[in-house]
Amino acid sequence: MTNRNRPGVGRRSVLKGAAAATAVAGFPFVSRAENKPIKMGMVTIQSGRFAMIGSSSSKGALMEIDKFNAAGGLNGRKIELIIRDSKGKPEEAARLAREFANSDGCEVIFDADSSAAAFAIQEVAKETGALTIHMNSETSSLTADPKLHVPTAFRSARQGIHDSIAGGSYAGEIAKQKKLNKWMGCSPDYAYGRDSNNLFFKYLKRNHKDAEVIGETWPKLAQPDYTEQLTKILQTKPQALYSCFWGGDLTAFIDQSSIYNLFAQMDVFAINVADYAILTAIKNLPKGIHSGSRYLATFPKTKENADWSAAYRAKFNNEFPLNWSWENSVGAQFVIEALRKTNSTDPKKLAEALKGASIDTPFGVGGKITMRGDDHTIVNYATGWGQTIQKDPYVPDVKAVDWKVILELEDEWKKEMKYT
Amino acid sequence: MTFRSSLARDCLIALIAFLVLAALPYIFPSRGFTDFLVRLAAFGIFATSLNLLVGYSGMESFGHGLYFGLGCYSFALIMQNFPVSIPVAFLLTIALSIVVALVVGAICVNLSEIYFAFLTLAFQMLLHSLIIAWTPITGGDQGLTGGVPRPPFLGIRLDDYYHVYLFSSGLLVVCLLAMYHIVQSPFGYTLRMIRDNAARAPFLGVNVFRVRLMAYVIAGAFGSVGGIIMSLFVSGAFPDFAYWTISGEAIFMLMLGGITVFLGPLFGATLFLVLNDVVTKLTTHYGIFLGGVILLFALGLRKGILDFVSDRLSDRRQSELTAASRTSSDAPGAKPAPAGE
Amino acid sequence: MDLSALGNCLISTSCLITQTTSGLIIGLLLFMVAAGVSLIFGVLKVVNFAHGTFYMLGAYFAYTAYQITDNYAVAVLAGGLGVAIFGLIFERLLISRVYGSPVLMQILVCYGVILILDDVVKLIWGPDFLSFGMPEAFRSLPIVFAGGVIPVFYLFLILVTLVIAALLGLLITRTRYGKIIRAAAVNPTMVSALGINTGVIYASVFVLGGLLAGLAGGLAAPVRSLTAGMGLAIVIESFIVTVIGGMGSVAGALVGSLLIGLVRSFGSIGFPLFTEGLMFLMMAVVLILKPSGLFGREGR
Repeated sequence: MTNRNRPGVGRRSVLKGAAAATAVAGFPFVSRAENKPIKMGMVTIQSGRFAMIGSSSSKGALMEIDKFNAAGGLNGRKIELIIRDSKGKPEEAARLAREFANSDGCEVIFDADSSAAAFAIQEVAKETGALTIHMNSETSSLTADPKLHVPTAFRSARQGIHDSIAGGSYAGEIAKQKKLNKWMGCSPDYAYGRDSNNLFFKYLKRNHKDAEVIGETWPKLAQPDYTEQLTKILQTKPQALYSCFWGGDLTAFIDQSSIYNLFAQMDVFAINVADYAILTAIKNLPKGIHSGSRYLATFPKTKENADWSAAYRAKFNNEFPLNWSWENSVGAQFVIEALRKTNSTDPKKLAEALKGASIDTPFGVGGKITMRGDDHTIVNYATGWGQTIQKDPYVPDVKAVDWKVILELEDEWKKEMKYT
Repeated sequence: MTFRSSLARDCLIALIAFLVLAALPYIFPSRGFTDFLVRLAAFGIFATSLNLLVGYSGMESFGHGLYFGLGCYSFALIMQNFPVSIPVAFLLTIALSIVVALVVGAICVNLSEIYFAFLTLAFQMLLHSLIIAWTPITGGDQGLTGGVPRPPFLGIRLDDYYHVYLFSSGLLVVCLLAMYHIVQSPFGYTLRMIRDNAARAPFLGVNVFRVRLMAYVIAGAFGSVGGIIMSLFVSGAFPDFAYWTISGEAIFMLMLGGITVFLGPLFGATLFLVLNDVVTKLTTHYGIFLGGVILLFALGLRKGILDFVSDRLSDRRQSELTAASRTSSDAPGAKPAPAGE
Repeated sequence: MDLSALGNCLISTSCLITQTTSGLIIGLLLFMVAAGVSLIFGVLKVVNFAHGTFYMLGAYFAYTAYQITDNYAVAVLAGGLGVAIFGLIFERLLISRVYGSPVLMQILVCYGVILILDDVVKLIWGPDFLSFGMPEAFRSLPIVFAGGVIPVFYLFLILVTLVIAALLGLLITRTRYGKIIRAAAVNPTMVSALGINTGVIYASVFVLGGLLAGLAGGLAAPVRSLTAGMGLAIVIESFIVTVIGGMGSVAGALVGSLLIGLVRSFGSIGFPLFTEGLMFLMMAVVLILKPSGLFGREGR
């Protein structure tokens, strides 16, 4: 923690002094301090090619925050959400997080930025001790690696390792049935792409011993033209292909693969297809793509989930909720419930309340999601795989994944990585 | 004024500036203020070093970010992987930048304008590709994680933010002083001579290639100091620091502040950072606002603010002089000389 | 590095055909954008960093036109014409003011425009990426030729871009207009002394560049995802092409683009992780050995 006997009296002592002074002076200011808003700062990306991250994250968080404020807030204190754009630069994200904590009086920092920014913001959380929720980053090491652990930082997003275990087990079943032994990987060449690809194949091979990776190709993130990758895939002739492309890259890849008639020549496992941004953008979605569920209004197939999706669309101009939407909703909800439980905004108290907490949510298996106490990340969120059809509900039959299996294999993975 | 006494005078000014900077956090106790100044130190040194090339040598480099990124990553990597002290890592980083600048400079400096610009950019983007590809060492696109170890040295503990602030302010003052004296020295005047008329210079016995290369190496060395400060500030390194946008922002700072006045780049860096921070705070339409300001400067003022001010001042001085000469002149029909540009 | 794979490919007809076609595709689309950059630099001595934004606007205009008319040809033309008009406005309003200024000022103007337009595009079309959709006519199976696979759409693109390249070549070499702009590239004062309105000439070069980039945006749209900032990758590659081919030379831009296309496509087999670096390396080599580029004029 930073040394406190430095010049700079620190925001808290200034506020205490001011409160004391005004109490003595008897200003009406003091009684209204009760209704001072609880400020929360969200760092996200609102411009450039990943602008939809900011758009969907802020909306997901607002679903819960507006609900909380409408119900009266915390003893009349409402949450004020300040949203700022890091423009996709991790150092700018860190600067904004620091500004939120040090200058703007924010009690909570919501990191709704990229996974690169998440590491930078984790450093800020360590330095400032502010309560920080990583809403979007799926990089497992952020919470799994004990060296990066910060007592006041939590993650309310899905984890790469969970997704890979789930995908490997689903694909392993299908591979066994259809004897898919020759595989290829085609994913963007950056940390998420590499991790997702490598872990998927690790768990695939575990479930289907005969699976063999006969080739890999690594396009750059945001590369516009995949012709060189596609021709390589077509020449290598695998029986199945894995890809963790997402967003605009995924739609471009699907569009370009279609004209090569790639989908007829192999089974494609593209983990990020089942996301409304993709499903509604692509004009001719090939059918039969195996995909993991990012967010679907029909999975879990519950009334609560369908209602939430309808409410989101009604509130936000008929836009579809995305994966970031539910993750931000969950993150905001965890914080709100911790606020209610502790009746305080002290980051240490909130962190204590968050460890091991469970919330009632449409996105959890059996209606609940839990924030694990030891590594501060969520478990028991609904996740599954299924095959696409060309219209709504797009993935009619999602096979939910067994969390017992996920947790067991995650434990094993942590030991292998020497995290435990 | 002799060179030696002006050096003494400038050192005194530098010392006073440093003392003022050291005292400021007691007047403005907000952490945001010290953070701002540390960033300003990094970019101020970087922009001023670029101006050694653009303003003083006429060498328009688009790829100066190469040294910012190199400085940032080298320093962080050395501290993370080798048990050396901070001053040693600092010197090693500078040494590395000098070596790289010698190689890149030798290839580039004799090319004409546009080609020099593009080749320097190509080298910078090569470094960027290397950083992104070499994930096991550099962390790839996520940047360097794990923080930068800061063993204390000479009583300075860089894990304390006030010490980081003092260290950065000190570097800012020292580097500016050094660069100022370089441009005021005979070497600096040779640079300007080459800038103004490269064809004539060899006739005066100047080895244009050698002088330009030296300027390029000096600029690269100081540029990497900016990177070192940034690496301490963010506790690591990000590939953005080697991307072409950082060169673009530095050029913007030069154009904002001015390239003919020595402190122009520092002024431009301040303006740019303030603009960036304020616009981000006030609106989500960052692009429209920042782009609008850029256009205002590029199309309206067409020169940096300090250039504008200094030109105005010299115009006024010129017209005062001609007015004075006119009143003292008796010759009828004598026309005053037009105010020079 | 996988030199054996590269070797195997070069001796296999099917691989040769597939990779060469893919190299042609990449190269020809790149040519349409790079030709504009090269022309603008050659005639106006302006480094049009904002050319990627032209391409992006072409794709977006085409998208909206396609939504309205459901006709691909109309969409592509809308893209081209829309950006041609934009190029005119851009030149008259902004670039013409910085003709004499240092290169860095011109870069700054372009940077400002890029920032503004990326935001404007986000405001008008939304922050989500858009997918154009493959026009009905091209949704058939790819053609198999001697073992190599060529999608119908790409064959169409190759033909159309070759035709456009040929027309452009004829325009530059056989028409009076072409002669004027070539002359203006060498000696603008003489051209205006001959009574030709150089302002109109300069504007027309931007219109032409805009038209080409806009057409490229529209043509490529069915196989791209549309998003703010999509022009960036192509503008960097265009500059590499112009440096390699020679500033101001359209023929050079064609050769440079095809070279880049083939290097990308064969390079991704032999040097899969270093294809980016390979292009910058090529640019560096050309700059060192022949700075004016393969077809460029000396002493620029």
